[in-house]
Amino acid sequence: MSIVEVRGLSKRYDPPKGVLAVDDASFSIERGEIFSLLGPNGAGKSTTIAMLSCLLRPSHGDALVDSHSIIDDPQAVKSVIGVVPQEIAVYPDMTARENLVFWGRMYGLSGAELQTRVGEVLELVSLADRQKDRVDKFSGGMKRRLNVGVALLHRPSILYLDEPTVGIDPQSRRSILDGILALRDQGMTVLYTTHYMAEAQELSDRIGIIDHGRMIALGTHAELVRIVGQEARVDLTVDHMLEGMVERWKELPGVSSASVEDEHAELLVDDANAVLPRLFEEAAEGGSRITSVNVSEPNLELVFLHLTGRALRE
Amino acid sequence: MSRIWTLARKDLLETRRDPLSALFIVVMPIVFTAFLGLMFGSGTDRLSVVVHDADRGEQSQRLVAALEGSAAVRVVPKSAAGLESWVADGRAAAGLLIPQGFSASVKDGRRAGLVVVSDQTSSGAQAIIAEIRAVAGGLVAADRAARVGVATAAKLKGEGDGKLDSEARQTEITATAQRLATQAMAQPAVTLRTVRAGAAAGQVPTGFTLSSPGMIVNFIMFSLMTAGMGVIMERRNGTLRRLMTTRMRRDELIAGKMAGMFVLTFFQQALLIGAGQFLFGVDYLNDPVALVLMMIALSLVASSLGLLLAALLSSEQALVAAVVIVSMSVSALSGAWFPLEIAGEGFRAVGHVLPTAWILDALRDIVTRGAGVGDVLSAFAVALAWATGLFGVAVARFRLA
Ligand SMILES: Nc1ncnc2c1ncn2[C@@H]1O[C@H](COP(=O)(O)OP(=O)(O)O)[C@@H](O)[C@H]1O
Ligand SMILES: [Mg+2]
Repeated sequence: MSIVEVRGLSKRYDPPKGVLAVDDASFSIERGEIFSLLGPNGAGKSTTIAMLSCLLRPSHGDALVDSHSIIDDPQAVKSVIGVVPQEIAVYPDMTARENLVFWGRMYGLSGAELQTRVGEVLELVSLADRQKDRVDKFSGGMKRRLNVGVALLHRPSILYLDEPTVGIDPQSRRSILDGILALRDQGMTVLYTTHYMAEAQELSDRIGIIDHGRMIALGTHAELVRIVGQEARVDLTVDHMLEGMVERWKELPGVSSASVEDEHAELLVDDANAVLPRLFEEAAEGGSRITSVNVSEPNLELVFLHLTGRALRE
Repeated sequence: MSRIWTLARKDLLETRRDPLSALFIVVMPIVFTAFLGLMFGSGTDRLSVVVHDADRGEQSQRLVAALEGSAAVRVVPKSAAGLESWVADGRAAAGLLIPQGFSASVKDGRRAGLVVVSDQTSSGAQAIIAEIRAVAGGLVAADRAARVGVATAAKLKGEGDGKLDSEARQTEITATAQRLATQAMAQPAVTLRTVRAGAAAGQVPTGFTLSSPGMIVNFIMFSLMTAGMGVIMERRNGTLRRLMTTRMRRDELIAGKMAGMFVLTFFQQALLIGAGQFLFGVDYLNDPVALVLMMIALSLVASSLGLLLAALLSSEQALVAAVVIVSMSVSALSGAWFPLEIAGEGFRAVGHVLPTAWILDALRDIVTRGAGVGDVLSAFAVALAWATGLFGVAVARFRLA
């Protein structure tokens, strides 16, 4: 059976007029997989995580986590989840070890079990040699690792990570992603949210694409890419954008969508080789020159563009 | 229960690690207690009296010595000119001039005169005059009693003229009699304590007795800064929300935060009361049970108020502003800076809406009059009612993010 079963979950902030942040979401997460929620800022990722963490009461629907209802038995749900917030939610004026001991007690550990587990987690997040140092002396990457370590203390069945790589350097990001893959290899189930297409692609066994609170697509990377079929994306820059040019491009055979922003345009085409000469012609007729072209094969970003008509900006 | 205590202990650990907390919690209040205490009463409850001894005889020196031994006044020896200027400047409430011939008059059993220079309207001067009258009267009375004793002894020996064997023998007997009489007079036969109607303590406290309890209330209120900041930082760095993803419940979280504030302010009170008792000689340990009751009352009020501020405010700036305003106005209105007795009826009535005014009155009653548990129960009840109300609002309004 799936470890997480989400059924018709909705959240409206400040009803009845407020934002419908999550709109009738239904999905399930299998044991041992990394499941990503991919979507732009404001899509409803954090709201979904907050409901699945029992921090926020759903307006409608329910979810079962390890067969406990988030509405009827939040305490049982909390004992099987490990939540890694986006911010570094640890105490900077305490040492790594003091932090882990404190959070371990909050998770209900005590005595020898607590000490053993703190030692294990320190090894797991490679902070054993710095355990007696205050967290405010740590580098960004070390703080991130501790932030993850806290959520592992009570051996959760599933780990939630809400955009853990926002605003960190490439090296720290790499070590976080490697850490998550290593945890999955040890059998951990992971619910991951991100607005980085590449992260979702690299990490996930399955991906749910979420926009304006709605789950608009769900599947493995290969399944999702198949949605856009053979379509490729063409990015081009012109020296000046003519009025009505996008509309003319759109009408060309083989072009399924086109959008423009200043001197840049993005088109989805079924055969780039066939379409490109026509694009140059159309531009030249109006007296404009194409100064750069980039063709990319189908990916998640294209899927998002295809489904929403908007780019998923990084 | 163990989660509540773990959270409270964690908060206290963080406070201890904060380099500024020792400054605000202990150093500043002690400095202000010393400063205000010296300002209010030159470091003592005794009234200053300047004394000029123009007589320099045996009796005048005994009078000065007796005044120096008095618990009510502090003797400052001065020249005749210095005496007048000290009284004129208000540096002393009164001056005592012992005229030439004082000792001779006492010795001959004649009426002995003393001159007191004072501002008649000052209550301090009244107290000094009363003290001089008592001390000098006692001395003269002892002297006369000795003479009567010697005369009686002589009479009983059958020597009607009151003379004993020899001149030397007589002097010796007189001295012994005098010493015995003085000892007998040392314990006053009657003591009088004046209690002014209206004033709770019966007297306006001065010096450290005034400043120490006041500064305790003032700086306990100021500690709301430390306590409230703990919650605001936790809300901002997300640990408050994270706590709720563990198995901690909301009521446990709030209780833990309040417990941390309670222990912090209680510990601060213990330190400041210790400093008051042993550094400044303020008599807090008159009734330990009453004292502990008032400490609990003050910590309950402070921690529930701290919780409320933390519940209502979300930025550090707002908290700093609120704590400065609240601690200043609460302290002033409660009489922490100057006793409410001198502020007038209206001010006094306004002040006694606040639990801190009640607590402060009770603390001062403990240190000046030795008030007991029965005397502080009403203050405890007022504090408990306030704390319950503040806590209720805080719990209702407490936000995690
Ligand atoms: N506490 C809140 N009150 C009202 N609206 C909110 C609140 N939190 C988030 N929202 C709104 O809900 C929507 C989804 O937000 P969020 O779940 O944070 O998105 P994401 O995590 O995907 O960026 C956004 O429009 C956001 O403005
Ligand atoms: Mg978010």
